[in-house]
Amino acid sequence: MPDAIRTYGLTKRYGETLALDSLDLTVRQGEVYGYLGPNGAGKTTTIRLLLGLHRATEGRGEVFGIDAWKDAVAAHRRVAYVAGEPSLWPTMTAEETFEFLARLRGGTDTAYRDLLVERFELDTSKRVRALSKGNRQKVQLIAALATRADLLLLDEPTAGLDPLMEAAFRERVHEAKERGQTVFLSSHILSEVEALCDRVGILRDGRLVDQGTLAELRHLSAQTVEVTFAGAPPSLDGLAGVTAVPAGERSVRYEVSGEIGPLIAALANHPVIALTSREPSLEEIFLHHYDAAGGRGGG
Amino acid sequence: MAAARALAWRGFADSRARNVSFALLFALYAYAQAAAYESTYPTLADRLQFAQSFGDNLALRLFYGVPHDLLTTAGYAEWRVGGVLAIFAAAWGLLAAVKVTRAEEDAGRTELVLSGPFGRRSAFGASVAAVAAGAVLLWAALLLGLAAAGLAAGDSALVALGTTSVAVVFGGIGALAGQLGSTRRVALELGVLVLAVAFLLRVVADTSSNLEWLRWATPLGWAEELRPVAGARPAVLLLPAAATVLLLAAARWIWLRGDVGEGLLRSRETRPARLELLSSPTAQALRAERMSLAVWLAGTAVFSLVVGLLSATVADANISKDLQGQIAKLGVASITAAGYLSLTFLFFVLVVSLFASSQIASARHEESDERLEILFAQPVGRLRWLAGRLGLAIGGAVALALVAGVCAWAGAASQGADVSLADMLEAGANCLPPALLFLSLAALAFAVVPRASTGIAYGLVLVAFLWELFGSLLDVPAWTLDLSPFHQIGLVPAESFETTAAVVMIAIAAVLTLAAVVSFERRDLTGA
Repeated sequence: MPDAIRTYGLTKRYGETLALDSLDLTVRQGEVYGYLGPNGAGKTTTIRLLLGLHRATEGRGEVFGIDAWKDAVAAHRRVAYVAGEPSLWPTMTAEETFEFLARLRGGTDTAYRDLLVERFELDTSKRVRALSKGNRQKVQLIAALATRADLLLLDEPTAGLDPLMEAAFRERVHEAKERGQTVFLSSHILSEVEALCDRVGILRDGRLVDQGTLAELRHLSAQTVEVTFAGAPPSLDGLAGVTAVPAGERSVRYEVSGEIGPLIAALANHPVIALTSREPSLEEIFLHHYDAAGGRGGG
Repeated sequence: MAAARALAWRGFADSRARNVSFALLFALYAYAQAAAYESTYPTLADRLQFAQSFGDNLALRLFYGVPHDLLTTAGYAEWRVGGVLAIFAAAWGLLAAVKVTRAEEDAGRTELVLSGPFGRRSAFGASVAAVAAGAVLLWAALLLGLAAAGLAAGDSALVALGTTSVAVVFGGIGALAGQLGSTRRVALELGVLVLAVAFLLRVVADTSSNLEWLRWATPLGWAEELRPVAGARPAVLLLPAAATVLLLAAARWIWLRGDVGEGLLRSRETRPARLELLSSPTAQALRAERMSLAVWLAGTAVFSLVVGLLSATVADANISKDLQGQIAKLGVASITAAGYLSLTFLFFVLVVSLFASSQIASARHEESDERLEILFAQPVGRLRWLAGRLGLAIGGAVALALVAGVCAWAGAASQGADVSLADMLEAGANCLPPALLFLSLAALAFAVVPRASTGIAYGLVLVAFLWELFGSLLDVPAWTLDLSPFHQIGLVPAESFETTAAVVMIAIAAVLTLAAVVSFERRDLTGA
């Protein structure tokens, strides 16, 4: 069974700008893959290359084993796409847009489409130009989901959606996964990726800096242990892999990379009142990657 | 005040490409026409003969209006330069005013501007100032062109003022249309409608014997009635001034009260689905273009019918062969019905070629608005899409050529002119080789330099056409004239169809189209 997405040293330059630097990406069939990165990291470029909309400078991409550039049309029979910008035909109504896109594909699941229209509460008789950005985004989403395509390429699909609609979107992604569809979700909304994705790839300046399941990513990252003492916090210098950050008059937050045992042993000699430990959130992992490289934080 | 200045400057700078090309057109056209008259009719005797032969020619009045003085260069320039450039000036006014008002609202930028500490009154004033600055530029360009050809400064200034007054009035019409229509496109369509009516009124007034008063009902007529160098009547300028003030006041009144981004005429945004013409990308392109195609066809039909109707009346055998040669050199209508139709069909070659350009511009618009991304993410190949768009352009061009031929024939035949349907169909077909060549050039530009392709598509056609017009007047080397496809076709039906040239043009077009398809299949889709 070929992978849903496979890229080999995929590279794209726009003039002097290196937008994507030798990307090797594998997305297996049936998984929901979160593609994370701040603005300008190369997420949209990756998707455009995978759709054959832009041409790779070096390397190549495959969709279900089909070359994304040379056999784009064959690949697209198995793909549905939601673009970051909902650029549709302004004078056509939503329903006409659905019909047009369905006919281009040679069919779609109209019963499911009707259900989606209901779930996303869209007025399909309105012309696209009269719709708000969020509603235009719904038109794209519904058209893509209704295809029941084997692979959904979603480029920041919830931009402009309200929280209710975002919840509806998450349900639909769960349903797609149950049906065995593959979802490639480009996003910078970390909670969304954390809630939906089996595996996550983090992109920075056109390079994949980390990849794995959430558990794997956490394992490699620092854990946070917050400790409150009865008196003044002791100095625990010299413990390998532990950095201490004051978190109050009697509290200290320890960032631990690697084993937590030595820290626990050291704390045993001190009057600890409370100790909380938690796994890093995706946000912390994400920020870690950006701060660690001296790059930009946040995003 | 500083903010208003910055905004006005932004509007002026955004329009620099249009302002510069119109200014060049004005200056060059004015210079070439006036200089050509000087050299072709050097003596009073020549001029008297010209005036006697053509002073009452209805076909010429149709295009240029009524001449008031054909014995001086200034009088000739007032007629030939003013008559033609008034229409260009009107088009400029519409484009300029709609650009700084409705187009900016349409794009959402006005919202951004007004969200700052900046009122609607200042914004309106800044828009008016941006257009006014452009109008001053046009006036100066026209003045310089005329003065360079030897007209007195005062005459030049007044002729230029008459023509510019049309630009100003249509700037007002554009501003009002921009407040009525909710989109740039609707606003421009309204404006063009007014221009068509204004032109029609002027034509009726100038070609009929008892409806001359209608000239006072159209801004194009006011420019004529100014008679800048034939007993100037500066008081007539009060009419365009008053009209502009009224139009701007009305536009401003709506602007200060309306919702930003909405015009007074709101189109219905909800409707039952219409599912015809959605079966393929080509069908959908036809669906999107059908209104515009209908306008091209209707305009061509009306114009070719009028040309046909007039062709019988221009025939006049009492002109010497010697003068005929000189007239032909000026590009003035020849003296048989067939000769007249041959020359006016050069205009239809231009129309069909511009239609071809508009189709590539429209294809590029699909791409710059990023709709092509959505389309090509479907199982739709680039070759299929581009072939469909080109097929549509060719089909439209053939339909236009056919309509021009048939309608011109119908008009001519109804007046008993001596031209056959076959002749006129041939004249129509004569439009196609240059149009196909321009289409392929535009397609290649679209494939290779997409961001510049719309400008190149229209620019090549206009430059080639103007070169054919000016070049023949200015005695430039023959090979530079040969470069223009307009120079390669025969003047059908007076001359025969140039089969060799047609085959060569179509062969070049085929090769260029192939190159366009190959390049387009290999490039990145490119946004705005």
